[in-house]
Amino acid sequence: MDLKKVVICVLGSDRPGIVASISKVLYENQCNIEDVSQTILQSVFAGVFIAGVPEEMPLEVLSQRLQERLGPLGLAALVRPVSAQQAYDPPPSEPFVVITIGPDRMGLVAGITEVMARFGVNITNLRAAFRGGTDPQRNVMIYEVDIPLAIDQKAFRKALRERAQALDLDLSLQHRDIFQAIHRV
Amino acid sequence: MLSDREILSTLEMLRNEHLDVRTVTLGVSLFDCAAQDVGIFCDAVHRKTTSLAQRLVDTCNEVGEKFGIPVVNKRIAVSPIAVAAAPFQTEEMIAIAHTLDKAARDTGVNFIGGFSALVEKGFTGGDLCLIEAIPEALAQTERVCASINVASTRAGINMDAVYLMGQTLKEAAAKTAHADGIACAKLCVFANIPQDIPFMAGAYLGVGEPDAVINVGVSGPGVVRKAIDRARKNRDSLDLGQLADIIKRTAFKVTRVGELIGREVARRLDVPFGVVDLSLAPTPNVGDSVGEIFQSLGLASIGVPGSTALLALLNDAVKKGGAFASSYVGGLSGAFIPVSEDLNIAQAAAAGHLSLEKLEAMTSVCSVGLDMVALPGDVSAETLAALIADEMAIGVINKKTTATRLIPVPGKKAGDKAFFGGLLGEATIMAAPKGDLSSGFIKLGGRIPAPTQSLIN
Repeated sequence: MDLKKVVICVLGSDRPGIVASISKVLYENQCNIEDVSQTILQSVFAGVFIAGVPEEMPLEVLSQRLQERLGPLGLAALVRPVSAQQAYDPPPSEPFVVITIGPDRMGLVAGITEVMARFGVNITNLRAAFRGGTDPQRNVMIYEVDIPLAIDQKAFRKALRERAQALDLDLSLQHRDIFQAIHRV
Repeated sequence: MLSDREILSTLEMLRNEHLDVRTVTLGVSLFDCAAQDVGIFCDAVHRKTTSLAQRLVDTCNEVGEKFGIPVVNKRIAVSPIAVAAAPFQTEEMIAIAHTLDKAARDTGVNFIGGFSALVEKGFTGGDLCLIEAIPEALAQTERVCASINVASTRAGINMDAVYLMGQTLKEAAAKTAHADGIACAKLCVFANIPQDIPFMAGAYLGVGEPDAVINVGVSGPGVVRKAIDRARKNRDSLDLGQLADIIKRTAFKVTRVGELIGREVARRLDVPFGVVDLSLAPTPNVGDSVGEIFQSLGLASIGVPGSTALLALLNDAVKKGGAFASSYVGGLSGAFIPVSEDLNIAQAAAAGHLSLEKLEAMTSVCSVGLDMVALPGDVSAETLAALIADEMAIGVINKKTTATRLIPVPGKKAGDKAFFGGLLGEATIMAAPKGDLSSGFIKLGGRIPAPTQSLIN
């Protein structure tokens, strides 16, 4: 049986049984899960599934069947074909970790990531960590990024630091190897 | 994916606990500079050191920036000048010191080590000329460091050299009387000197070493102290075994940082990587002190009863953690207790908690020895020599490195303050035995025979 590759995103309030429901629908429709990742942010569940779907099945049908099962659970599903042609081909890069610490306010992530995007720096992981409990001054963002070797490293660092300063953020930029060297045997 | 805890604890070590690489030291062999003419020799020395070290400072800064960990000091260690420049006379040795100083300034390194001689079994002409040149050479130059190995477990103690060094210290201090005898702060006397120390003032490049090599000195007393404090805050009932484990883990992390950065610098300079020196090296900054670790582990101050046992635990735990973290460990590798370079230790000495005698006892379980100890200016050459001899005996019998960096501060007495500036810090002058107490013994001269390696008690 020929399979076509699709990506399925599911969003909604977290509760037991979400993954069971999704995978059951996929199984009943002869879809094969190739890859999966999920995260829970505050109380929101978000899951991304890459699955092989029978060639003859229209994606609208799969979408509808998922919606029928997940709708009553308060979940929304989005189904899209995965196209090999559209894939981003990463240039040779080095992995770095950017950490910003400072008072929370609107536009921090937009400000920082605008600089990254301008230099072609790709974010591979992004998360917020609050070290100070409810202290808004201790708002910490961790960006794991790939910095292309070909860009002007000094100009990027300078632009990033200037942006951080303008946003009242304390910024550090370190090669990922340092964290692995320190913490991993 | 890295965990938040991994990322944030690294940031904490860096921002608040003085995590850094204390020194990256480029070893440069001078044996191929050998010449009969001192002008030709000096030209060759300058050319070789500056061409190899040309990119050292910039490279260390770039690598430091890449990993976000500063390399505090960049230094050069050369072959022992008494060997490389064996045919030359005292005046010529002083000229060579000026060449080394110029090479250090031209490459932007803050110290250059290797104005050194190895005389544990006897002197060559070059050794004697170098030692004779030391007071003038160190007084006239700013960045040159000297070290003399006067004893080893296999050779015993060259007591003629010990006496000579007592006299040399007096002379070097007198020549820099205006700066509290700072020449002596750049002069170490060793037993069992390692060939690959990256730290000053004892760094030189041994005869078995490659043509050029990068050795790294890590730091981390602040990181160790904070790790202990955090663990004790979280759990009241930790015993010394568990605390030793925390020190071990912290030393592991600190060492990995040093090795990662050292290897990257070596790769970029196309020079082999040598060793990581696992020493807890303090600076005169608050929070970057070995002495503070003693307080975190329950002693009122470094120097009070219990200090030797605590230091033994600390030193051993650092070595165990570091030895696991790096395959190439060398240099001194032990906790440093330099009195003037560690604010807390300097305060302990000023408050009377730390005496010269207790310091000496502590050096039997850690490296380095009587380091940066300021003494009254009227202490005699014979008493200085006797203090050196005692320290050498500790090293020779225990098969370990010990050293002295004693500074008889001209015109000052016990309790006064000596100021050396910068990394060398400041210290309260410790009381030294007064009068002619040891000269009969010191003047006997000769060599104390090497100790037996069996019947170990």
